[in-house]
Amino acid sequence: MIDIKRVTFSRGANVILDDFSAQILNGEAVLLSGSNGAGKSTLIQLIGGFLTPDSGSIEIIGNDISQLKAKDQAQLRSIAPQRRIFDLAFTVVQTLNFVPKKRRSLRTHQIIEELGLVDLLDKKVTELSIGQQQRVSLALALIQEADFYLLDEPFAGQDAASQVRTINLINEIKNEKGVLVVSHNSDNTHSWFDREIVLN
Amino acid sequence: MKREIGIYIGGVILLALLFLLSLRIGVLHLQTPLFDILFKNNHGVDASTVWDIRLPRALGAIIFGAGLGFAGVIAQGIFRNPLAEPTLIGLSSGAVLGTIAVISSGAAVYGSRTNVYVAVLFAASTALMVQWLAPNKGFGFLLTGIAVSSILTSLAGLVITSSPKPSIQSLSFWNFGSLSLLNSETIRASAPVLEVGIITAFFVARKLDIYSLGDASSHYLGVNPKRIRFWAIIALAFLIGASVSAIGSIAFIGLLIPHIVRALIGPAHRRLLSISGLIGAIVLLAADLVARTAFEPHEIPLGLITSLIGAPALIILIRRSRAQWVAHD
Repeated sequence: MIDIKRVTFSRGANVILDDFSAQILNGEAVLLSGSNGAGKSTLIQLIGGFLTPDSGSIEIIGNDISQLKAKDQAQLRSIAPQRRIFDLAFTVVQTLNFVPKKRRSLRTHQIIEELGLVDLLDKKVTELSIGQQQRVSLALALIQEADFYLLDEPFAGQDAASQVRTINLINEIKNEKGVLVVSHNSDNTHSWFDREIVLN
Repeated sequence: MKREIGIYIGGVILLALLFLLSLRIGVLHLQTPLFDILFKNNHGVDASTVWDIRLPRALGAIIFGAGLGFAGVIAQGIFRNPLAEPTLIGLSSGAVLGTIAVISSGAAVYGSRTNVYVAVLFAASTALMVQWLAPNKGFGFLLTGIAVSSILTSLAGLVITSSPKPSIQSLSFWNFGSLSLLNSETIRASAPVLEVGIITAFFVARKLDIYSLGDASSHYLGVNPKRIRFWAIIALAFLIGASVSAIGSIAFIGLLIPHIVRALIGPAHRRLLSISGLIGAIVLLAADLVARTAFEPHEIPLGLITSLIGAPALIILIRRSRAQWVAHD
């Protein structure tokens, strides 16, 4: 379980999360929605340990993440951020190899196939379209073995067919794991999720 | 992979040939065959020229050239900026000021341990200062580095011109970047520091691939970006402090070599690091050979040669490279 306990977080005078609590359980796929600037990505960054709450705490399977090293946090959760920098001309396969073999999911091959990356493996990430880069970024998060998967806008820049394939993947993964997906209301993906958390 | 092995083998052979050539030629024309000097018990002017002057100088060119290549790879990777190079972002000027300050105050002599440590300290402080002052990681960072660098260079100039010590004037040659002051003592003082820098650089390079995806991505994949930046600055300060205190500030090697190697073998940092080190050694050894033999019997500062070749190459590079790698904050 991801247990978000009374988290407050502000940037300057701007309070983004105020005494916010929520839980995400194993075996469920939760949609995190809300308007622009409501704090969806901030919440992902807090759960990911990249930001630290001003007050309150976040626990993943009983571990207070602020007490864990980045390396140990990575065992508990895997995250696809909204944006990654693809500046260096690594090939797709080199990029996916950033996740060490021993930490890779058993589903790795399936994920690469479902996300349509098989034909792109030897291409340079710098030469891919934005949508293709988005799929590489998503794959990089999904092939990492973890208990929870947090995906920030995984459908952005993808066509309908790959959206459906991504949703199928998420549905399969949530059988054993917990999944939290940030998505705009406009994506029409509500019905696929077990539950929705709305941030205001 | 084949290409890399080819570069390694070709590079090592070229380095060995240049090394022998460096021992063989110079202002003094050897009367004794080099083989006899190296492998038979030989005394006299020829032997002492080779053993005491040319050998330390050639070894210095190899280790400091490699150090500059390593430093360029680490600086570009850690600042995610293809133009981040120790001379451009102020580290070298910091080390120059440190060296000049410590020598002019009489606290230490050129090439001593104290000189090397002070240069390392100044390089590290400069790196931190530029990072702290810079508004962003792109052009703002570079311009801040250039500004800080020119302040430190001016300060160094002031110290030199106002110093009563006549010996400080002889540093002006060093100031342009030159291996002419190198001797075995200097190498003994700076090599261990350089070594620490190299080991740290290899430790850092393993993580730079993941780090290249951005701070958040890096953290999510288990690599703490703040920690890796800390170690990278340590590596840079040791590499640059050691080489600047010994041979002065030499521009463009650390900038251009990683670019050339990246174009040949791709961006993976560990391989990039080792091959850039090899090529750095070759280039510095070759440039020094030119510096001391082209206008015999006069020697020209090595830094002038690397700048004369490097600056136009930089312009070509800027015109060709897509600006995207500089634009990120």
